[in-house]
Amino acid sequence: MILDYLVLSIVLFCLGILGVISRRNVFTVFMSIELMLNAANLAFIALSRLHESMDGQVLAMLVMAVAAAEAALALAVVILLHKHTGKLDTNVFSLLKG
Amino acid sequence: MFEHVLSTMIFLPILVGLVLLLLPASQGAARGTGLVASGIILILGIRLYFGFSGAGGMEFSEIRDLLPSLGISYNLGVDGISLFVLLTGAVLYPLVFLVMTNQSKGCYANLLITQGAMAGAICAGDLVLFYIFWELMLLPIFFMIGIYGGPKRLPATIKIMLYTVAGSLLMLAAIIYLGVVYHTQFGEWSFSAAKLAGLELHGGAAVLAFTGFMLAFAIKIPLFPLHTWLPDAYTEAPPATTFVLSAIMAKIGVYAVIRYVIPTFEAEFARYALLLACSGVIGMIYCGIAAIGQKDIKRLLAFSSASHMGILALGVFCMNIQALTGTIFQIVAHATSTGVLFLFAGMLEERMQTRNIEELGGIARQAPIFAFFFAVALLASVGLPGTSGFIGEFLIILGAVKFHTAIGVLAGTTLIIGVCYMLWMFQRVFFEKTNDRTAGFKDLTGIEALAFLPVILLILIMGIYPQPFIAKIEPAAKEQIAFVRPAAQVANYPVLEKGHVPEQK
Amino acid sequence: MEQSAAYLGLIPLLPLAGATIIGLLHLSSCQTCKLSERTYGILACIAPILTFLFAIKVFLDLHGLPVEARQISYQAFTWFKVGELDIAMGFFADPLSSLMLLFVTFTASLIHIYSIGYMAGDQTFGKFFAYLNLFLGMMLILVLGNGPVVMFVGWEGVGLCSYLLISYYSEDRANVLAGNKAFIVNRIGDLGFVLGMAFLFWAIGGSGFDYISLKANAHLLSSTTISLVCLLLFLGATGKSAQIPLYVWLPDAMAGPTPVSALIHAATMVTAGVYMVARFSFLYSLVPTVGLIVAWTGILTALVSAIYGMYQDDIKKVLAYSTVSQLGYMFAGVGLAAYSAGIFHVFTHAFFKALLFLGAGSVIYALHHEQNIWKMGGLRTKLPITYWTMLIGALALAGCPPFSGFFSKDEILYLALATGNPGIWLIGVLVAGMTAYYTFRMIFLVFHGSPRDQGLFDHAHEAPTVMTVPLIILAVGALFAGVLNLPAIFGGGQVVSHWLAPSLAELHPEASHETEILAIGASVVAFFIGITIAYRKFGSGAEVPVFTGFASFAYHTFRINELYDLLLVRPYKAIGSAIEYFFEPQVTDGPVQLTTWFYRAAGTVFKLLQVGYVRIYAIYMVIGLSLMSLLLSQSLK
Repeated sequence: MILDYLVLSIVLFCLGILGVISRRNVFTVFMSIELMLNAANLAFIALSRLHESMDGQVLAMLVMAVAAAEAALALAVVILLHKHTGKLDTNVFSLLKG
Repeated sequence: MFEHVLSTMIFLPILVGLVLLLLPASQGAARGTGLVASGIILILGIRLYFGFSGAGGMEFSEIRDLLPSLGISYNLGVDGISLFVLLTGAVLYPLVFLVMTNQSKGCYANLLITQGAMAGAICAGDLVLFYIFWELMLLPIFFMIGIYGGPKRLPATIKIMLYTVAGSLLMLAAIIYLGVVYHTQFGEWSFSAAKLAGLELHGGAAVLAFTGFMLAFAIKIPLFPLHTWLPDAYTEAPPATTFVLSAIMAKIGVYAVIRYVIPTFEAEFARYALLLACSGVIGMIYCGIAAIGQKDIKRLLAFSSASHMGILALGVFCMNIQALTGTIFQIVAHATSTGVLFLFAGMLEERMQTRNIEELGGIARQAPIFAFFFAVALLASVGLPGTSGFIGEFLIILGAVKFHTAIGVLAGTTLIIGVCYMLWMFQRVFFEKTNDRTAGFKDLTGIEALAFLPVILLILIMGIYPQPFIAKIEPAAKEQIAFVRPAAQVANYPVLEKGHVPEQK
Repeated sequence: MEQSAAYLGLIPLLPLAGATIIGLLHLSSCQTCKLSERTYGILACIAPILTFLFAIKVFLDLHGLPVEARQISYQAFTWFKVGELDIAMGFFADPLSSLMLLFVTFTASLIHIYSIGYMAGDQTFGKFFAYLNLFLGMMLILVLGNGPVVMFVGWEGVGLCSYLLISYYSEDRANVLAGNKAFIVNRIGDLGFVLGMAFLFWAIGGSGFDYISLKANAHLLSSTTISLVCLLLFLGATGKSAQIPLYVWLPDAMAGPTPVSALIHAATMVTAGVYMVARFSFLYSLVPTVGLIVAWTGILTALVSAIYGMYQDDIKKVLAYSTVSQLGYMFAGVGLAAYSAGIFHVFTHAFFKALLFLGAGSVIYALHHEQNIWKMGGLRTKLPITYWTMLIGALALAGCPPFSGFFSKDEILYLALATGNPGIWLIGVLVAGMTAYYTFRMIFLVFHGSPRDQGLFDHAHEAPTVMTVPLIILAVGALFAGVLNLPAIFGGGQVVSHWLAPSLAELHPEASHETEILAIGASVVAFFIGITIAYRKFGSGAEVPVFTGFASFAYHTFRINELYDLLLVRPYKAIGSAIEYFFEPQVTDGPVQLTTWFYRAAGTVFKLLQVGYVRIYAIYMVIGLSLMSLLLSQSLK
């Protein structure tokens, strides 16, 4: 039973990774990251249920709070980037190129 | 205040230097403050000299626990060896502030921090404390060369930093190794140099630790072939920094070998003494010959300094009382003579806007007092009897002949090599015809002449009547020799001191 | 027993104090507030004259002692003491040093006086006398030092003064180069001296490193050690006393003012090497083989430099080579353990060579610094005092009986024969003839015949009294000094030899009267042959010769300077440049360059990974995390 949740969590996580790696639109990348966070939340809650402890749920709440805060910050950054360059393509932002 | 005289000598300049760095002082005010601070240090130094009994052992000790759980203590003290290294700095420092008028504020502040840190490195009786001061004295040097240096300052800074940092890190590893060995042998932590001297060290790890120490000090001295940072750093550094590097800091390398390496690593030291002595002699010859090919007066003096440091270091590796006493004497002698030469070169550069030997000439006619002082320092540097340089060099050569005939003979060639480049330089700069550039050279003013006079007199006095100095050095040198004597006898080096039997016919 | 006498310490101190005072006065003066030359002159002459009086006192004090106890010493202070090395700043006088002391202070006094005239009008008059006084002080330390180390102080000190005075006219590069050469060549010799001292010290120096202790312990040495020490010390002597192979500096040293050439490079400093060998006679007499090397070096130097002397055209160069040649005789003497004969030649040579140089100085002064003998001629009438005094000096140098040079030189040649070295004797006689030839070639060219340069001749005038009086006094010395050591065959008592005997470990070879007569006869014949040839060729006017073949080779001193330049100086400089331009940047800088190269290379590699796209970095993260999880799961198993 518990395994199913975990497998789902892994699948979601991998989907998130795939999204981050393969998509170029900033929003899609951002949504993929959110997907990965939620995959982690699912694993936390499943395991919390398994161990009959509240720790996992607390952590899940924490992650959701962080995700919300992050969303506010990240969206602001994205808007600024868009104002700057007029694009939402991550390939444009390659300032770290060596 | 007098019971904390060593702490005062260390922390007063460091604090004053830090305050100067933070405050927006003018250049003149910074120089004045530096002069006052170094003047106080000089007075303390003189009191120290006369308060020193010279009976052997540490005096003016200050011991406090710093980190008892790891056995790290705040442990200061001077013996006959450190006294002279310490005094050399104290005596020469005010000269920098008096004569070098054109340095920037940051440079003066950094000079002060270096002075305090050097005093700390000299007096430290605890290896961790020593390491802290050792690093602290190097930092300002990087800043001074990197910020206030000549046109090629950045490569020079990178070079000196690469070398010294590499050396320091290895030394840190060796210090930690010693502490751990002490812990395993005696069941408690200690980094006190005196306690670590009692360690029984064996095997490859001991050799590695010895190498770590020796590399750090050999880079600082510098021993051939680790000297390449020196010409660049000395040439690019501001004159005051070059002066400090050559006159005092290089000596701390030699001093540290005597103070920390000999007592702890006596067996390794005796085993590798011949190799190290060879390195000293080769460095002396190599750098001496290199000096003849220089066109830049500062670079020539840099190579000259490296050449003399080679023979100075040789005295330590000969492991007999004459050579070791000669080395310690020569530390002071060489500091005064080379220091004055570098200061004069700095003045030439400041006033003539060139360091190229070919562009100078005829200065002796324009500035007889300047030329006379320069000549005295130069003669001391080539070891003319009657100047301080002779006593030191003679003792070292004498000791070297006893240590190993071939090395002694090679060491003797310093007599020839030194005069070749020095006379060549003196001829081009001070003799011959004046040109448009040098025609306007002004002689030393009365105050400048008075500032140099004590050092010039010291050079002569130490040459004519050196015995009072030697009497204070000898007991401490004897103690160091006592450490290596058994080991050296095992390694078959002749270090006999008493009961010498004349050979039979 | 030796006696203590504090005034011994005062003897070198006086000229040193004089040098300090004059030097300070000179340094503190400016163009307008200069002291007069007269003041400087008087100040400068005080010290030499006082020391001469002290020298007489030393002599009288020694004379008052019994023969075996003729030693007085004074230990000023412990100079330095480390372990068993205990060097005192002490002074010591015995018959040998007292003789040296007498003629050094005597000639120095005269030359100081002479210089007042010669240097008149010089820009840095005070500096000159400060140097001269300093030289005298150092020379006296050399003579009076009580051990080799103290002697070395004077030894190097006179070298320094020599350097300073050779490059005195420092505006001219050639003069300074000559000074440099003198200093550096001397330093090569000094290396021998220092190493000799070191070896001697480690052998027997532990129980005292002064002459008296060394002499007492000399028997403990093995003959190998003695030979080594003696050879090394002799290397020092060849530097200071201009012998093969280190003689090249002395002819160049003539760049200095002429009184300097007279005092330092003829009468006193250059004889220090001979004095040193005599001082160490207690060692040299134990190793006759080394003595032979010394003697042969000396006589060959005498020969070679006499050949050079025959072809020179600069009046001072002629005298310089004759000095080298005479020094060769002295070494032949001391090498054959005839120490007193060698020292006696030092003694007489000081008079006649100082005289000749001062005479030459007077000629140069008269001709406004013209030194080429081919531009002189007929000066006999214009400079009568110079002429007559120089003639006496020349006769003494050439070895004409009964002038002083004859006796001293003949003594050496006779002893060469008596000790069974006919080779040395034969060369010595040959050189005697050559000496007579080149000396009188010079005299005839300068003073006889007709003027070659009428303009110079017309303006020539005799030197002022302050210069001629020293000439006359020295001429008297050159005439009669030989009488002091008249050999028994002329009814003399060899006073000097007997006086020196307690200081020297001399061998007294037995030889027949016939040998002595043969030696004297041969010398006289050589002298007459030499002077006759000189008269035939130059007696009444001669044209400037064009040298070809051997003569040209000898005129250029066998190209020895060029050879040294090629073999030593150039390679040395080339190595210096090679280090600066190749070894330093390419080889010894290796670690630094290797480090920077490593960082650069690593940077180039890692740069490829930094593509700048967030997506790619994410892949790296995933790969890294996967590997970490893999490792973690492996370790958990």
